Amino acid sequence: MLSVRGLSAGYGGMMAIRSLDLDVKAGEWLALLGPVGAGKSTLLGVLAGLVPARQGEICLDGEDIRFLPPHRRLRLGVALVPEGRRLFSGMTVRENLMAGTHALADPAIRRRNLDRVCELFPVLAERTRQIAGTLSGGEQQMCAIGRALMASPRLLIIDEVTLGLAPLVVKSLFTALVGLHEQGITLLTAEQNVPLALAHADRGCVLSGGAIVMEGPAKVLRDDPDLPRHFVGY
Amino acid sequence: MQLVAQIVLNGVLLGGFYACMALGFSIVWGVMNVVNLAYGSMIMIGAYVTQMAVLQLGLPFAAALPLAALATFTMGYVLQRALLNRLAERSVFMTLIFTFGLNMALINLNLILFSADVRSLPDVFGRASFTIAGLSVPYGRATIFAVAMAMTLGLHALLNWTPLGNAIKATSFDPDAARLSGIDVPHVYALTFAIGGAIAGVTGALVATSYSFSPVAGESYTMKAFVVVVLGGLGSIPGAIIGGMLLGIVENLASLFLDSGYRDAVGFTLLLLVLVLRPRGLMGRRFFAEVKG
Repeated sequence: MLSVRGLSAGYGGMMAIRSLDLDVKAGEWLALLGPVGAGKSTLLGVLAGLVPARQGEICLDGEDIRFLPPHRRLRLGVALVPEGRRLFSGMTVRENLMAGTHALADPAIRRRNLDRVCELFPVLAERTRQIAGTLSGGEQQMCAIGRALMASPRLLIIDEVTLGLAPLVVKSLFTALVGLHEQGITLLTAEQNVPLALAHADRGCVLSGGAIVMEGPAKVLRDDPDLPRHFVGY
Repeated sequence: MQLVAQIVLNGVLLGGFYACMALGFSIVWGVMNVVNLAYGSMIMIGAYVTQMAVLQLGLPFAAALPLAALATFTMGYVLQRALLNRLAERSVFMTLIFTFGLNMALINLNLILFSADVRSLPDVFGRASFTIAGLSVPYGRATIFAVAMAMTLGLHALLNWTPLGNAIKATSFDPDAARLSGIDVPHVYALTFAIGGAIAGVTGALVATSYSFSPVAGESYTMKAFVVVVLGGLGSIPGAIIGGMLLGIVENLASLFLDSGYRDAVGFTLLLLVLVLRPRGLMGRRFFAEVKG
């Protein structure tokens, strides 16, 4: 579905991603792992169009999307839930969710997506008129995922879904992600919690120093004695 | 007592006009962090378009007003799309210098096109007035107040009940998150500047009906818009109404006790007081410039 070849990106003189290759297959759940500073957020930002790529190509179903702005990529089905959730904090939950529908032309699909998000996260349905900045951390994460889902994405990219959340909340968020995966949405998640990510994902890849250093089926990676090495010092 | 009531009423009518005028300035500042120093010149362009439409095309005022709004709306969209978007999300000083230069260019354009003559558009509403509770209300002032309030409510409805308003608000909170939500941010910026422009155009049409205007007269409107926005608080429609009314009433009261030459000085004194005592304005959030530098 998504095929990345020779991708480089960075800020100023610093290259955070160096000639990276990555494939995401339709329908799979790929977990992106790696230590802090490995370039995970930069990579996801480049895929969504927020951070410009210096070199390489990003193909979605064979079409190069490297030069498309984020809203055009969203129209093609690529959605990113950014790190730190980035809700429109002074707007209501409903306004935040509806803000996710600007890529859609059909109002009937907007309403259908709103119903689906409310079904997936019933707590949001109870709080549609609440100001998003006053939600709890878990509810904010649900709202951020909901906002991305409002655009009917085929590839949902999530950066650090569990960051700073209580274990119980993490569990319910992963239950929701499993449900989305079963509905056929392709998932690419960056995650600090390696055991949790590999327990749910189909495949994992480890990013370190801006390049992919390991990849394979989640079950194999989980037991690979080399895996911890990439997380200790770099 | 009757006199004070009359003066407060005059201030409220003027304040409604100030509130509407300030909103076009406030929305651009609040959403894009751009202090548009060319705002007054855009008001003047609205006034000139209105005058030409009435005197040369023979249109009624009710048709000239939307024409003025359309002209400044288009101008705003093109300016933002072609030039200002290159500076969007940069330092406030960059855009301040840009709009300063733009203001010079527009003043000189108006001088070339319309000469430096002071103009006015006499007798659009006549000089008649009606009376409420012993207070006299000129039809002209009442019409200006009604149009200004209609614009204010229209902007409120646009921002809160339409997809475009949702996109504008989302962009003002977090441009990157707006991009990720599928919002075409450069287009939203251009539309926001265009809406600010349309409000300037309507303000200009209203100015033409009751005040004299010239290419350099725009600056006092920019200053008044600035005062109202700071008084009421950035990015707040109720704030703009309160700020506008406050300025209108204080200006009118001052002209009762002081020479009318002190009118602007009183407005700025009020501005200084609010900046010292309550820097975020009476209703609004903190200034963008403070946060982003």
